[in-house]
Amino acid sequence: MSANVDIEFRLNGVATRAKVPAAMSVLDMLRDLLGLTGTKYGCGEGECGACTVIVDGLSINSCLMFAADCHGREVMTIEGLASDPAADRLKKSFVEHGAVQCGFCTPGFVMQAHHLRGKHRHLGEHEIRRGIEGNLCRCTGYKKIIEAIADTGAIAG
Amino acid sequence: MGALEKVTDGSLIGKRIPKKDAPEKASGKTRYIHDIDLPGQLHAKILRSAHVHARIKSIDTSAARAMPGVHAVITAADVAQRPIGVAKDHLPLKSGLVRSMRDEIAAVAAETEEIARSALGLIKVDYEPLPIVASAQDAMKPGAPLLHGEDLVVPGPDGKPLVAHKASLDNVAMVFSYMQGDLAKGEAEAQVIVEDVFQLHYVTHCCMGVSGVIAEFDASENLVLYSNTQVPFLHKREFAEMLGMDAGRIRIIQPPIGGGFGSKLDIYPFEPIAIYLARLTKRPVKLVFSREEEFLASPTRQPVLLKLRSGCTRDGTLTFRDVETVHDNGAYTSWGATTPFVMMQTISSLYRVPNCKYHTRAVYSNNPYAGSFRGYGNLQATFAVEAHMDRLAESIGMDSLEFRLKNAQLPGEVTPQGMHFKSCGFQDCLRVAAERSDYQRKHCEYRADWSDGNAIKRGIGMASMLHVGGGAKIYPSDGCGTILKIDDFAHVTLLTGASEIGQGSETVLAQLVCEELGLPLSAVSVVNNDTDITPWDVGVHASRTTFIAGNSALGAARKAKDKILAAAAAKFAQPAEALDLRAGCVVEKASGKKLVEISKLIRSLHFSDKAELVMTTYYYEPPSQHQDREFRGDVSAAYAWATQVAEVEVDTQTGIVKLVKVTGAHDVGRVLNRLGIEGQIDGGIVMGQGYALTENLIIEDGVVSNPSFRDYKLVTAPEIPEMDVAFIETMDGEGPQGAKGVGEAPAICVAAAVGNAIYNATGVRITALPFTPENVYRALHSNSQPPVWIDAA
Amino acid sequence: MPIVAQDELPAAYFAPRALDEAAELLRAGNVTILAGGTDVMPQSKAGRFRFQPVLMNVRRIAELHGISEVDGVVRLGALTTITELLESALVRTHFNALWQACDHFASDQLRNTATIGGNICNASPAGDTLVPLLIFNARVLLASKANGVLTTRAVPLAEFFDAPGRTRRAVNELLIAIEMALPPAGFVSEFYKFGTRPALDIAGISIGIGAVRAQDTLRDVRVAFGAVAPTPIRAPKTEAALDGKPLATALDAALDAAADEIHPISDIRASEWYRHELVRNMLRRMLEHVGER
Repeated sequence: MSANVDIEFRLNGVATRAKVPAAMSVLDMLRDLLGLTGTKYGCGEGECGACTVIVDGLSINSCLMFAADCHGREVMTIEGLASDPAADRLKKSFVEHGAVQCGFCTPGFVMQAHHLRGKHRHLGEHEIRRGIEGNLCRCTGYKKIIEAIADTGAIAG
Repeated sequence: MGALEKVTDGSLIGKRIPKKDAPEKASGKTRYIHDIDLPGQLHAKILRSAHVHARIKSIDTSAARAMPGVHAVITAADVAQRPIGVAKDHLPLKSGLVRSMRDEIAAVAAETEEIARSALGLIKVDYEPLPIVASAQDAMKPGAPLLHGEDLVVPGPDGKPLVAHKASLDNVAMVFSYMQGDLAKGEAEAQVIVEDVFQLHYVTHCCMGVSGVIAEFDASENLVLYSNTQVPFLHKREFAEMLGMDAGRIRIIQPPIGGGFGSKLDIYPFEPIAIYLARLTKRPVKLVFSREEEFLASPTRQPVLLKLRSGCTRDGTLTFRDVETVHDNGAYTSWGATTPFVMMQTISSLYRVPNCKYHTRAVYSNNPYAGSFRGYGNLQATFAVEAHMDRLAESIGMDSLEFRLKNAQLPGEVTPQGMHFKSCGFQDCLRVAAERSDYQRKHCEYRADWSDGNAIKRGIGMASMLHVGGGAKIYPSDGCGTILKIDDFAHVTLLTGASEIGQGSETVLAQLVCEELGLPLSAVSVVNNDTDITPWDVGVHASRTTFIAGNSALGAARKAKDKILAAAAAKFAQPAEALDLRAGCVVEKASGKKLVEISKLIRSLHFSDKAELVMTTYYYEPPSQHQDREFRGDVSAAYAWATQVAEVEVDTQTGIVKLVKVTGAHDVGRVLNRLGIEGQIDGGIVMGQGYALTENLIIEDGVVSNPSFRDYKLVTAPEIPEMDVAFIETMDGEGPQGAKGVGEAPAICVAAAVGNAIYNATGVRITALPFTPENVYRALHSNSQPPVWIDAA
Repeated sequence: MPIVAQDELPAAYFAPRALDEAAELLRAGNVTILAGGTDVMPQSKAGRFRFQPVLMNVRRIAELHGISEVDGVVRLGALTTITELLESALVRTHFNALWQACDHFASDQLRNTATIGGNICNASPAGDTLVPLLIFNARVLLASKANGVLTTRAVPLAEFFDAPGRTRRAVNELLIAIEMALPPAGFVSEFYKFGTRPALDIAGISIGIGAVRAQDTLRDVRVAFGAVAPTPIRAPKTEAALDGKPLATALDAALDAAADEIHPISDIRASEWYRHELVRNMLRRMLEHVGER
């Protein structure tokens, strides 16, 4: 029988409790246990970035992180960006630049871009390209995604 | 009042219009099929074959059935099946013989995915392995095992046995032959002839959203299928036949899709399997692939071995092309086998070729089978044809651009295959792409640097493509239906048969309708993706949606406009021809003077003695032809061209080819949504880049060796080239606002241009894809064999 | 996808906050250690490894974090992430090859979580950080409570790898830190990883070189290779061919020595022949580059 682990953590700013199987990934916890479907399963092995979330201020692939390890941490998903003005500007930029086609990869890109913008004072095209090298897109060819991220207006913070 | 008195030009055509569903997608709120859960649903998993080629001796599902949480376990023995696929040689659950690693042996429906997966481990299958037919070549050897050596017999609708698919006694699945002109004459007239064998490889769609389906039979035993199909109405009909059901009792709902690219044009076993389980358990059944399963079980692009002979005169006139191809058809037949339809268009009509012969064989093997994939055979054909355009030019000492211009068709030409090039921007594509990329100067300069001793070599190469741009009449109808209503607040609801698969069709349709009706984009809602609600459309393929669904929407919108203007004409005692709709109002066409708001006029129509609503319908069938038995006919209502110039850097010490820049000139008829079309082109170019340089589905003895993103290399953001794209607006007479289809075009000639660029950089012509570093390095250092043609016994 | 039976999942989970507690748990020898998880999670799902009955998350152990320098010896806590290494001025200044390897590691998301200790214990023959660590003569510190008392031992990294995916860490030991002496004055180092992408590639081959430059001669030469042997390796013959000799005259002999010291295989990423060619061509290019710096 698999061990279940009681965890307490902050999810999108809200104190949250969950009971997770020891080997469960953060991705599966978010989607199957907590009903947050904005974070996507793309590959399950950290190669595509569709599952990107932000934990303790760092972007990570939620398919690789153990849910039990969320205990005591701050976890932010795409749903949690809803009330963040900087993220709002970023999402609008994605929309206006045509950086969204099928949209499946978009939450992962938005999370990663949000993290990059919060971390770097200056985001040139080179930094953006390297910064999103772990996010795959099959529709856009990346060009408009890079333009959307570069067109940041004021970077928050 | 003042602000509306004079309505200025607020045309939406050519503007940058954000996709209507983009805000929802960027917020993570869009519910794809993976995100949909129905009450009471079960999860299904498929047990796939442990062998590439084997006879199934027995299957024991008893332990799996007994597992707590398992509701059903099925094998072929448990279900009355009808065959699926293009040639009906394919049963969803296999019995008797397994022919590939994909083959579906059994399926489980259980309370959770974990239980379903664990139950698979309890199914015992006894196989008798058989010798593996690992290639088309092996399949054609005398004495090769026959993969479909017996008729496929199924119970017919009347219960009597029916031969669904006749045995193939030589492993040949399909044959195509096409001829135009007089090949012998063409060869005799040629003063220079070149011949090559080209090898085009396996790649796969890699949609970011994996395949999934949810099947539910409601209380009246009607089927609701949540499917990512690109052909919902065809699907409906085929499922009805397959399940022995009245098609009217099947509803297909298409949730937002995580990418299509042609991967969802056929019925693949997992959908019927989910339906069988739903019918058996009387619960909704959801089946979602893992990424590994997606690599293993979804269709590939058609691999092709192609032999091309081309000739021209010394003054640069093409005289003939002679093509033979062998297609590895894999274990079962899907759309990949029909790529010759498209390939022969390029071979016969990309540039003016009076004499042409084309013959192809699709041959069964134990490999994964191919489906349809953006470009549909055209990437493969163009790769060969454009390599020879360069080779012929070089052989006669003619500039490669001039040689192409000399043979590029002009508007009004009709090809020997019967394609009527009404709008044709071919020459402009060539000139504009060459000029913007400084092609001719660089081409000479880089060639002159072959012996300069530098390890890094620059090269530039050009290739053009021809593809249908106004649908493709391969099905009895190539049409699309629209229902349109405008409510009392001048809000438009557009019900279109066309599916939205991420390509932006709903936005472009809204744009066309708003332009016609003089309304803002916010005034339109597009309803699609539900066969119970929308009228018929043949499907999303052949780059047809903007053209055909666009014309359909315009037809309905024009009828609505006529009705509104007729009412306004009566009300204001002016001829309808003197009126127009702009900025939400009925206006005097000449002066722009506002007469009344559209919404007010509609309300006055509604709330009157002779009450009327504004509701219109339109079915658009493009004026194209079905091809005759010899594949001749004007199969599309319009055709589209593009020229792309690729600039590369080749590191001769590693073989790494860096794609530095792609310059494209695309004949799109007219730019409708500038943002949308740019995105399609960017994405298509990068998909072409992957095909040329990085993607390779490695299959050895029928087994996929790299079913993961770790070892199947999609292009990532740091690798994309600089992209400069120009639009050639030839204003097609039939296209909506002059537009033609563009969905596939940008992916089609990238590899061909890159191949020509590598030659320009290094003097080495590589006729096999992909141009991975090791493949290129080997070619540069004379440690590789060019592809070898195989002759049938 | 391989099917994982219910009884192959961990039966117990611990997240100790102190090294002593972790070492105590390890005594039973039936523990899967979880650090960043970037190898454990995908490998377990792919069936390439099975969980032990106990899953121990070491990420909250303070002693395993941090980068410090004492008396000319730099200590990297085992849980130092690749991102932290990239952001460390100490690493950038003194261990350029390691910094470059980190810059070519996977992706930002993976760099934020993957740890240097995890990278070492995963012991991939192509492990990105392992080649630079070898040229900096790194040693690993291992802690255990085998005798009831917390003890540590140091093992040179060059002696730590046993086979592909296997180290000489005992099952009851925890890797707690990596130590490297600051390189001598004038030491330059460089790392090269073959791939078509800046980072998100598993190395076809990788090369690390370091030396002190004295005019046209290299001294104190270190050369290491990845993905061309069962484990990452130092190349003593190649080093000897270069050490103390003018680079221009030593180059060919060094390339021949390298060809002799590497034993690449053919796999889906590259063939044996091609790996040989890459090592020859890229080692030459790197040495010429280092010679010019």
